[in-house]
Amino acid sequence: MQSHKIKRSKSINLSNMRKSFSVKPLALGVAAIFLSACGDEQEATVFTNVDECTNANPEFAEQCKTAYEEALLEAERTGPKYNTQSDCESEFGNNQCRVVQRDSGSFFMPFMAGYMLSNIMSPRGYYSQPMFTSYSRYSPYRNRWIGADGYDFGDQRTRNMRVNEKALKPKPTVTKTMSRGGFGSSVRAKSSWGSSSKKGGWGG
Amino acid sequence: MLRVSIPERANWKRKAEEFGFKFHTMYGEAYWDESAYYQFSLQQIEDDLEAPTEEIQQMCLEVVDKVVNSQELLEKFQIPELFWQQIADSWHKRDPSLYSRLDFAYHGKGPAKLYENNADTPTSLYESGFWQWLWLEEQVNGGKIAKQADQFNSLQEKLVHRLATIAKHYDIDQMHFACCQDTDEDRGTVQYLQDCAKESGLQSDFVFIEDIGLAECGSFSDLQNHKIETLFKLYPWEFMQREEFGESIEKACVNWLEPIWKSILSNKALMPMLWRLFPNHPNLLAAYFEDELNQAKETKLVKKPIFSREGANISVIDKGKTVLHADGPYGEEGFIYQAYYPLPQFGNNHTLIGSWLVDDQAAGISLREDSSPITQDMSRYLPHIIL
Repeated sequence: MQSHKIKRSKSINLSNMRKSFSVKPLALGVAAIFLSACGDEQEATVFTNVDECTNANPEFAEQCKTAYEEALLEAERTGPKYNTQSDCESEFGNNQCRVVQRDSGSFFMPFMAGYMLSNIMSPRGYYSQPMFTSYSRYSPYRNRWIGADGYDFGDQRTRNMRVNEKALKPKPTVTKTMSRGGFGSSVRAKSSWGSSSKKGGWGG
Repeated sequence: MLRVSIPERANWKRKAEEFGFKFHTMYGEAYWDESAYYQFSLQQIEDDLEAPTEEIQQMCLEVVDKVVNSQELLEKFQIPELFWQQIADSWHKRDPSLYSRLDFAYHGKGPAKLYENNADTPTSLYESGFWQWLWLEEQVNGGKIAKQADQFNSLQEKLVHRLATIAKHYDIDQMHFACCQDTDEDRGTVQYLQDCAKESGLQSDFVFIEDIGLAECGSFSDLQNHKIETLFKLYPWEFMQREEFGESIEKACVNWLEPIWKSILSNKALMPMLWRLFPNHPNLLAAYFEDELNQAKETKLVKKPIFSREGANISVIDKGKTVLHADGPYGEEGFIYQAYYPLPQFGNNHTLIGSWLVDDQAAGISLREDSSPITQDMSRYLPHIIL
């Protein structure tokens, strides 16, 4: 050997490379919050019900209740959705899923297992988001707190965590989107060509 | 450089599921193939691939510098006039680039010959940076490959580092990522970059190319109406420049990855330009624009469209006769010609080496095998080791 320098990545954090859900949900939520090793962080707590929150914050019973209700709505809006009960249960465990009816049809979603709350005492308002967990032996998320997008917030026994404050700030929003679909037409044109090219991708 | 057979890991398909590698088999055919691997010596890697990769990158940047300042060349590169100034500005500001893949024909000795530069939307990134890394780790742990074996593959490490540098450059803590709908492979590639972005402390949001919106204020927006400030797009510049939103690119003021100056590199016109600036360079094949064909001394040439992907529309021409041709939807912007130089063969396999760059640094290789001398979209991916 000419040199002793290692020519491959020294280490890769495998748990960070595992994908959110082993069965792909029909729809995924958006990451509302994320933990970070550095930066401006603040405390957040996971509660499994309103009473837990009220016991910990007796003077904020009203906020505990509202935050819970908001998280429930958010869970239904952004939580993972599956076509079949068995897909959902293989990820979250037996009897951990419920059927949801929509105009577009029905699908299966895990029950909300708790809600994360931070800034409850702040006059600027608190922040909450739904938490899920898995009881399935086949899921890497067994006994973990999971966000709607599959983000792993850690062991279910841990209730207090530090979250990145930057992630709480609202993202810049545009005033009004006038039109969509102005990119992507070349793909449609070239995909309609012939059959010998089997893949749809446009990378090289 | 050897091709060595090895038993597959018994549980690799379950592992692939666990890690979200969804495109290891496509349309019933194997894409990821671990029934064999390629073995290189450290000298082959360092002298014949790593060093030339970094040298060629510098040569390519010299081409960019020439082309942005020449109207005649920008026309030859088939870049619409609307973008000339934007490309020059982006180049003069040195807008940071993320990654590229140079494709080489290399026979294990002698100089590797550059086929082309995938500077804008290279794929097979996840397979290279993560999946073949994991393969080596597990084959070594299982005692199937010698402990001292290494791999030319610091891709993931370098991508994480580079994304952090780019975030600092633009003073951002969030990026948007985009690819087209209905392709597991492209989505997987972009997801991998999102994973790398997360490792470097960035928040990421995803939007499909087709879902990008144009806002009243001139910005681009995602489906939540969030402004797109920084966008990694696995979608070629030459398409975007010719589509409806193309004319809105300048006003949208996006931090683009790849930056728009890379339109000059992800373009087959690069090949004759390299040959013009660096004639007879050992790692280059002679290459000509259509109007320079009279200078060609070679009797066997490969005809490539200025814009094309995955080997589409490439022909091999011998003494003026087409002897091999791959179909495809490209070619309307014209062609370039490159001296014929075959890929090495291992059994019935024709093997192409992709050599990765993260910014200007060589970061590893990937190997693709095809049963045809033209590597196309259904070629297989094989891992490699250094021993």
